Amino acid sequence: MGEKYKPKILIIDDEKGIRDGTKRLLESEGYSADTASNGEEGIYAGTTVEYDAAIIDLKMPGIDGIAVLKAILKSRPNTVCIIATGYASYETAVESTSYGAFGYIPKPFTSDELLQKINQAVYKRQLLLESEKWKKEREERLLEVAFEKTRLNTIINSISDGLLVVNKEGQAVLFNPSALKFLGVENILIEEQVIDRLPEGISSLIYKFLRSGKYEKTTYSARLEPSNTTDLFIEAAASAVPHHDGSLAGVVVVLKDITEMKKLEQLKSQFVSMVSHELKAPVAAVYGYLQLLDNSSISLTEEQKKNYLKRSQLRLDSVLKMVNDLLDISRMEMKTITREIKEIQLGSVVRNVIEFLSLEINKQNLNLKLELDEPIPTVNADMEEITRLFINLLSNAVKYNKPGGSIEINIFSSGGFAAARIKDTGIGLMPEEKEKIFHEFFRAKNEMTKDISGTGLGLSIVKRIVDSYAGKVEVESEFGKGTAFTVYLPVNTEAGISIKEKEILTDNN
Amino acid sequence: MAKIAIIDDDPDILDASGLVLTSQGHEIVTATNPDDGYKIVMDNKPDLIILDVMMNEPDDGFFLAQKFRKEKIFTPIIMYTSVSKSIGMDFGVNEMVPVDEFVEKPISPEQLIEKVEKLLHTEAGR
Repeated sequence: MGEKYKPKILIIDDEKGIRDGTKRLLESEGYSADTASNGEEGIYAGTTVEYDAAIIDLKMPGIDGIAVLKAILKSRPNTVCIIATGYASYETAVESTSYGAFGYIPKPFTSDELLQKINQAVYKRQLLLESEKWKKEREERLLEVAFEKTRLNTIINSISDGLLVVNKEGQAVLFNPSALKFLGVENILIEEQVIDRLPEGISSLIYKFLRSGKYEKTTYSARLEPSNTTDLFIEAAASAVPHHDGSLAGVVVVLKDITEMKKLEQLKSQFVSMVSHELKAPVAAVYGYLQLLDNSSISLTEEQKKNYLKRSQLRLDSVLKMVNDLLDISRMEMKTITREIKEIQLGSVVRNVIEFLSLEINKQNLNLKLELDEPIPTVNADMEEITRLFINLLSNAVKYNKPGGSIEINIFSSGGFAAARIKDTGIGLMPEEKEKIFHEFFRAKNEMTKDISGTGLGLSIVKRIVDSYAGKVEVESEFGKGTAFTVYLPVNTEAGISIKEKEILTDNN
Repeated sequence: MAKIAIIDDDPDILDASGLVLTSQGHEIVTATNPDDGYKIVMDNKPDLIILDVMMNEPDDGFFLAQKFRKEKIFTPIIMYTSVSKSIGMDFGVNEMVPVDEFVEKPISPEQLIEKVEKLLHTEAGR
């Protein structure tokens, strides 16, 4: 700490004797004092420097004391001003204080009177400064609080989960737009009695806390099913909000949209039950035949026995095929297939597939035509997958064709795609079947397809492979006339997934 | 001996079940879809219907059974089920599911014969 602070006093008086005497007196008492001999000087000094206090003579030639007082206070409101006057009267006192003077001192004054007044003024000055400081701090804090509140609101409004806070009286205190949406409520007013407007599942959660009236560190949760106000599945968790002293302040409810999860769950169980059904059907058929063969009370001819064994084998084949297809699908979904991406000529893949299926093609006496546009398009893909894709498409064209029918294959470029069109003269599809053809286990069922075996997974695998290369597959068909599938695969650019998987592949190596 | 209609989209099930029942001296008519199933019932007026619940759609057999009852055909029905419970269709014999007996596939010849005889007898006793 330095020297003791010397309060700065300004003396404004046109009488030299009073100026100098006052200055000497104050300085001897530990003040620092400046003087001004007229109103003009006084205003200049009093506005340029922040004085703790000023003694202003009321009657001066030119600018009088009241004008000086006003001028100083205007720019230095915390300078405590005392009016000195030889004409002390009640009116002057009132007048000067009404302009903001702290007080007045009658002239002539004694040293003691002056010092007492100055002391009071300096004390007043301290109070003024202090209150100013508090005011400033308070304003700053309010600003900070306001800012904090807006920031918090922005954060709360932007989160995708719903948030609703009610106080102990059941009034809404805080909520965000997601909460309105999830609760199926149009609007909530702050301080509105809101609980009974909420879905029953939510209000009962809140009441659990409000009834006990005590803060408890538990979270209750509930699930909301879609209702007439919202078509969402919502998971709600309610917790008590404590006051500083640990008593119950209110309840906060956090709402989560679990609709997508529910949908996936549903898809999953649908898929599981479809798979079970599809697997169980052949098992039940084989079981039935075995029971017949094993049953001594039912007599079978040798031919029947042979037939049942053959049928059983066929059904078991289909189970095996289906399990393999399912494993492929699951590998595709888990992306555990290791791809070897290289440049593939669609023409040569299709030729190989035709070769592979030639036995069936000949058996059905089918007329096959392959047309390749020059230059023959290439794609960057995994040979095994593309081969699989064409085996599935072409074997369908064979299986569902009529004996002596034909298959036309065109390979061509189309925009940024390499395309292959496989057209058969088979059974064809009904319009409603066309939509479902790529669904797992969907098989067109009619008189003509009943003896054709299949897993119902072939085309769904085709679609998965095509999608994974960011390509597309289109189907045109007329029932009774035939079906054409066109596959488009991006030319020579490695599709997003392929590139990524290739990178992963190299990383692993 | 009785006339029995079997309606199931699985030809092997038709074959095996049919053989079991013909070995008992019953006469069998079959169909592989709900439309044909309806037709053979109307044409042949069987004493008993064996109906698979899941044909083209997971509940085809269920709707066909309702259609029969709506048209005042009260022939006893045995319903073949496979995985209907896991799809959330927990069937029980009631007004909504107007059948007389449920049988979970696969079924042994003895069981099939027993269920069929039981229903044919109650029917005869009515």
